[in-house]
Amino acid sequence: MSLVKEFTKGIWKENAVFKLLLGMCPLLAVTTSAENGLGMGAASTFVLVCSNVVVAILRKLIPPKVRIPAFIIIIATFVTVVQLCMEAWVYGLYQSLGIFIPLIVVNCLILGRAEAFASKRPVIDAAVDGLGMGLGFTLALFILGAVREVFGSGAILGFNLFGASYQPILLMILPPGAFITLGLLLALMSRMSQKS
Amino acid sequence: MKDIIRLLLALTLIASAAGLILSQVEMATREPIKEQRRLQMLKALGAVLPAFDNSPDTDTVTLENGVDKKGRPVKVIFYRGRKAEELVGAAFKVIAPDGYSGNIEVMVGVKPDQQINAIEILSHAETPGLGDKIAQSRYKDGFKGKSLTNADWRVKKDGGEFDQITGATISPRAVVGAVKKGLEFYRDNQEKILAKGGQQ
Repeated sequence: MSLVKEFTKGIWKENAVFKLLLGMCPLLAVTTSAENGLGMGAASTFVLVCSNVVVAILRKLIPPKVRIPAFIIIIATFVTVVQLCMEAWVYGLYQSLGIFIPLIVVNCLILGRAEAFASKRPVIDAAVDGLGMGLGFTLALFILGAVREVFGSGAILGFNLFGASYQPILLMILPPGAFITLGLLLALMSRMSQKS
Repeated sequence: MKDIIRLLLALTLIASAAGLILSQVEMATREPIKEQRRLQMLKALGAVLPAFDNSPDTDTVTLENGVDKKGRPVKVIFYRGRKAEELVGAAFKVIAPDGYSGNIEVMVGVKPDQQINAIEILSHAETPGLGDKIAQSRYKDGFKGKSLTNADWRVKKDGGEFDQITGATISPRAVVGAVKKGLEFYRDNQEKILAKGGQQ
């Protein structure tokens, strides 16, 4: 498979959210706004690329029997790096994502890519795969966050869209809004794939 | 046996490398994080204190207010704002444990005459769209100028004079109760809080 294909498969054909339904916990929890979605996506992408690269470098040195704990240590290290950096330089985002930054460790998308892909492939493939998967995840988080923000607070990325007279649909910001939006998006996606 | 040693060695190496990287990152981010927290604190203090020209985050008095569930003393820090050396107010944090979901942290600014200058909600996890209206200025402004002697510290539903929020009475009730308790503690200890010097 060519590198271009490795890259694009994560964005569309094997999109972590819309096709594999991985990483649902952060997806549903933090997408109350488009900005939160982007921030969470960027943090996850960074962790995914770094852990994929390191796992691919070490793939011949890590004994198979302890590979899962080894992967978790690697992932947890990068998550902590992201957490410290966000607290130091993007404090506002750090506060709004809160507990979901450390929880990137248990995002099954990241461990899944380490186990299923990076541990069997050369470094470059793994890096490209991580980037594609991460961007696909970010895209999903952004779309979900944007839809919920538009209906739930009448704004997009903080810019007011409809003026003061708009009565926001509160439900969209609350947890049920996440499930409803995700369900509709999934239906739309499978409809589109069926046609093509 | 040989196998186990190999496994041990591999995991130990990976874990130590991780530790090394993390210690480096922690060192690099320690100062910026400290600075961010300080700015955050100053922002909250600026919102609740009358205009000041000192740095209240270093001009503090720490008092003990009872003990928590584990028997450790609960420390309350009072941040003192001054303008031209003259004390203009003191700010302190109160925690309302009885909100709708989790603790509500409130910063309260009190003028020397024991009237509230302003309050600021530092953190909360109340329901978006309902209880989270406690963080809007329309609600917070209701506390301005109130003191223990000139106000009935209950929400209107309970017969007092503080606004509640339609559909969410629990959150305002918790905030009003916590601020009242804070004011009482302030009243009982005003001499110590406003005493010159203190810990700089």
